[in-house]
Amino acid sequence: MSMKNAVYTKFKDISREEHISPGTALCTGCGGLLALRLAYKVLGENVVIVNAAGCFTLLSVYPYNPFSSSWMYTAMASAPAGAQGIRDALDILIKKGKLKSEENLKVVVLTGDGAANDIGLQSTSAAIHRGLDFHYFCYDNEAYSNTGFQMSSATPYGSRTATSLPGEINPQGTVQRKKDLFEIWRAHKPPYLATVSPSHPVDLSNKFEKASKFEGPKLFIALSPCPPGWSFGASNSVNIARLAVQTGIWPLKEAVYGEVKHTVIPKFKPVEKYLRTQNRYNHLFNPVKQVDVIDNIKKDVEQYWERYLDS
Amino acid sequence: MIKRVRFHGRGGQGMKTASRIVGTASFLEEFFVQDCPLYGAERRGAPMVAFTRLSKEPIFERGIITSPDINMIADETLLGDKSANVFQGTWEGTITIVNTHYPASHVRNVYGVVGEIVTLDITEIALNVIGESVLSSTAAAVVCKLTGMITESSLEKAVIKELSSINLKKELIEKNLQAALTCFDRIPETHPHYFEPIKEDKMDEIVKLEYADPRIGTPSVYAKGNTRLKKTGNWRLFRPVIDHEKCSRCRTCFVYCPHSCISIDEGDYPQIDYENCKGCLTCFYECPKKVISKDHEVRAW
Repeated sequence: MSMKNAVYTKFKDISREEHISPGTALCTGCGGLLALRLAYKVLGENVVIVNAAGCFTLLSVYPYNPFSSSWMYTAMASAPAGAQGIRDALDILIKKGKLKSEENLKVVVLTGDGAANDIGLQSTSAAIHRGLDFHYFCYDNEAYSNTGFQMSSATPYGSRTATSLPGEINPQGTVQRKKDLFEIWRAHKPPYLATVSPSHPVDLSNKFEKASKFEGPKLFIALSPCPPGWSFGASNSVNIARLAVQTGIWPLKEAVYGEVKHTVIPKFKPVEKYLRTQNRYNHLFNPVKQVDVIDNIKKDVEQYWERYLDS
Repeated sequence: MIKRVRFHGRGGQGMKTASRIVGTASFLEEFFVQDCPLYGAERRGAPMVAFTRLSKEPIFERGIITSPDINMIADETLLGDKSANVFQGTWEGTITIVNTHYPASHVRNVYGVVGEIVTLDITEIALNVIGESVLSSTAAAVVCKLTGMITESSLEKAVIKELSSINLKKELIEKNLQAALTCFDRIPETHPHYFEPIKEDKMDEIVKLEYADPRIGTPSVYAKGNTRLKKTGNWRLFRPVIDHEKCSRCRTCFVYCPHSCISIDEGDYPQIDYENCKGCLTCFYECPKKVISKDHEVRAW
């Protein structure tokens, strides 16, 4: 299902300009960095990033900075509050004539899934509620990857993290289901809300392009395959992200003022194919296959799509 | 009698596990042991250190090892990296072991190493036997041998115990064991001159911190995009090479490069920034025409 009047239709439409320099401290093959790099190409240079503590804090380590634009670092809980302050300051400067309106900046919150789902959920909800004009980019690597891959509430059921190791009592690893952040945000009815994947750069670019037309909160959740945390080879991030979309595990969708539309209808490849690419699911296959757990994961995916394909 | 071992590597190479294997092997030899890793504010591919202490008496030292008796440098690109500071506190009693294909004399000449020096290309052994460049068991084996106090059987038990605890598959543990024993055999029996182990300095000094203006502790960076000065190209084990004659200029490699290391030249061809390419090889796997090859980097310095 392609978007009507899409600005981006092929790879050649994607800007050659880079806004994140090489040489950052981020892991080799980071899927989240790829998603951010692609998003940045659409956002352009007039951006100020407000970065909640997480992996991406390491993009800028003194005395180095990879960005072509401004960047500020906040604690995990307070990035949306920081964004409010910067937005207000910019608005006041423009109103007083101290900043030309063409020099206006887009305020972009950058957080991991830990800050988005757990620690910073309250301040995000408040910022959406206030109708703050900002972008929110959550790189979802499904755990606290920066500190050694501990479970977050975005960690999927059946996967292994440092704090949800498969054992005798819980052979499936993580017992809980992944929190549905998209739906939590959607309940606030923000003007624009979307999921993106680094494996689908054209879809990602169109969503950022479309979002720029709305004033108010514009929120994104980017699937971010994490080579060390999910335990796979650094060359495989794009492939794994693609499989997540093709199996139906990671639905690509958007919601304009709360109305949901799926932008890619997957081919529904077997879910097992996705699970087998990452060692964080290895315990589901070795030493004995945990058929019940794999069936539960399949069932979750099927139930999700049944609901949406019927409506 | 205390032996202090320091491991230098890059995140993901397995030095934390290596320090644990040496710790466990020493424990099995009835030593008191201590092991811990230290990561900076960086991760996979970035310099890190790990430590193991073994002693016949209880160990009261804590923290980082500033004067190692055995100094394992598992990544030769760290030799010239000032921030990694791999020769810190080495003295005439230190045995330095470098993972490189160069002979020991060459490393000594170029870097002016103090103490004894041994070299062994454990990456080559790991690639041949295990099939990937994970150096945990091989580096541990080399260190165990150099202590002169750990037997092959304790090493074997320690490798199995530690690798099982991180859920490694059985056949991979077997391969690691094979690679470890190969390394153990390759290192000759050493009889280093006996040196009185030096006392770790500043062990019982209390450092008083001076008050500093908060503005000093919260530095601002005014430069635009200067991370490229870090030249992360030395993180790379394999170098992607584009065959421009067969390239269809589809831009897939450019679009999918996570680290902004592929640009498009005036002829519309992709060019790789080798000074910074970390060698993730996403381009190699994603190229639809399969015109990107990968070359093993041999000469990192």
